Amino acid sequence: MGYNALALAVGIVSGLALVFATGGDLRAASTTLLLSPISSTYSFAEIFVRLTILLIMGLGIALGLRAGVWNVGAEGQYIVGSVMAMIAAMYLTSIPPPLTLVIMMLAGAGGGFLWMIVPAVLKARFGANEIIVTLLLNLVASNFLLYALDGPIRAKGSGGYLISDVLPPELRIPKLIPQTRLGLGVIIALGLVVVFYLLSERTSFGLQVRTIGRNREAARYAGISIPRVVIMTMLLAGATAGLAGAVHVSGVIYALDPGYPSGYGFIAIIVAMLGGTSVIGTAIAAFVMSYFIVGAEAMQSAAGVPFALVYTIEGIILFSLAAGQYLMSRGRS
Amino acid sequence: MLDILFVEAILYQTLKLVPAILLASLGELVAEKSGVVNLGVDGLMLMGAFTAFAVTYVTGNPWLGIVGAIGLSLILGLMFAFFAVSLRVNQVVVGLGLWLFGLGLSDTLFRGFFAIGTTPTVPIIGDISIPFLTSIPVIGRLFFGQNPIVYISILLIPVVAIFLGKTNLGMRITAVGENPRAAETMGVNVYRIRYLAVLIGAAFAGAGGAYYTITLLSTFILNITFGRGFIALAMIYFGKWKPYRILLPLIIFGFVDSLQLGVQTLGVPIKYFFLNMIPYITIVALIPIFGRHAEAPAALMEPYKKGG
Repeated sequence: MGYNALALAVGIVSGLALVFATGGDLRAASTTLLLSPISSTYSFAEIFVRLTILLIMGLGIALGLRAGVWNVGAEGQYIVGSVMAMIAAMYLTSIPPPLTLVIMMLAGAGGGFLWMIVPAVLKARFGANEIIVTLLLNLVASNFLLYALDGPIRAKGSGGYLISDVLPPELRIPKLIPQTRLGLGVIIALGLVVVFYLLSERTSFGLQVRTIGRNREAARYAGISIPRVVIMTMLLAGATAGLAGAVHVSGVIYALDPGYPSGYGFIAIIVAMLGGTSVIGTAIAAFVMSYFIVGAEAMQSAAGVPFALVYTIEGIILFSLAAGQYLMSRGRS
Repeated sequence: MLDILFVEAILYQTLKLVPAILLASLGELVAEKSGVVNLGVDGLMLMGAFTAFAVTYVTGNPWLGIVGAIGLSLILGLMFAFFAVSLRVNQVVVGLGLWLFGLGLSDTLFRGFFAIGTTPTVPIIGDISIPFLTSIPVIGRLFFGQNPIVYISILLIPVVAIFLGKTNLGMRITAVGENPRAAETMGVNVYRIRYLAVLIGAAFAGAGGAYYTITLLSTFILNITFGRGFIALAMIYFGKWKPYRILLPLIIFGFVDSLQLGVQTLGVPIKYFFLNMIPYITIVALIPIFGRHAEAPAALMEPYKKGG
């Protein structure tokens, strides 16, 4: 855990160095990065808005990582999930709104689940690398979003713009703190922490996942069907990422446009790794990462830093995490 | 609208789109033969694309741009090899790290140093033209009026095949990828071979990325490769880790890609985002066809500990 915190620090410091190197205002950048998230109720609530998405996705990714499976497609599943939730909202007009809201959540999770079936089957049946397939499906998903915005979920009277209708108030997840964007979605995220904790620690499925992650040979000898467990972890990860999309659209943004997906699916991978793939660790990492994102976004506008810099910092964090793994393994032997 | 000119343009474009992915694929194939997967190929391509742009902008010579792209990729490749080979960390983690690093840094540097006001452009390497041959209908431009890098990259297929299969060094790379322990017993320095293979892969990826800025677009944009580095990784799997077998799936992909781009320019009432999906879906759909009995190097993604 200590090394992981260090990895995050290295990433942030190198990011600031880059701000400086490309001619940004270093002083403004660093103070904004560190202090702006706690400067107002709104910003503070924003931390938990981001945590909600990252935690829901991160839990699924972390579970997969424990079985040695990489879901690099969370970004795509998140997009599909939010689109499916929107479709449900727009076409289920004759049932009571609270029920529709529940169906929207299920539609989101179902969308992510379906999006994962192809990589899961290709992996189990043809040994296709899930990293490549899920990444390719991300590219399909971003075009699927445009297709949906142009067709099934297009706003009436949107003119030439690709935007969806805005969800009516009764189809929104209620607010937790007024005047902020924080809603009850964060409760769903925390509830999932409990569910995933019980799933990993108290069920035979959780035990099977851990056994496969530790030692495949041993798992096979113990009679565990590895393809079955791997597929189940993949589908679960897909469903959580899809659910995150549904929660975000009905809890925070209320309408879809081509610009709303902003790489959370990739940040969630870092969250799962920062947290050492454990359930509690993922929750802590999701908070730290969300704090950093809220600060980084404020920094972007304050210091005139391009958004892409965030990717660089994420890359450096991954390198530092890898170095931490090395130091840890050396400490053990 | 399906006239002869359209067919000619599609076929020409199919080959024209080959080099970037082919170069990245061939290089990464060498790296994977030694047992190291570099998922950061796309990041290397992006940095290669940016560096080629920057060097060409300063020197005015796109060939020097390629040299610059290769140079920077070697440095990044060295960094990757240090983590993946010397520190023996998880190759997926550093690969994804390298990808995101390149994705962000290429755009940050471009905006930081070049994108002030109007979009800057650089001179590009133009297509060749052979008297008479180039003007043959349909196949003239396709075979005799291509970009020089198209010919070079295709010629590199037999070069890489001979290098891996017939030279002492190539066979050592293969041995290290199959059974590093046995290779070491026979006196092969596993680390040195893996470093070398990763560096070859990085150099090729950098050159492949350079192709975007100094032949196809003449400028740089965010994520200019549109994930083609990952297509390159898929091609190795389709080609079953054999250089010659990469070409067919790659041409199928290039054909579908240029066809959808061609249809977009025709103004057919199909939305571009629908067409944009097709190349990626094609790749996924090809997995059951080309992916059967794919035989990866036995020690692929296995870190190796010297003497331990």
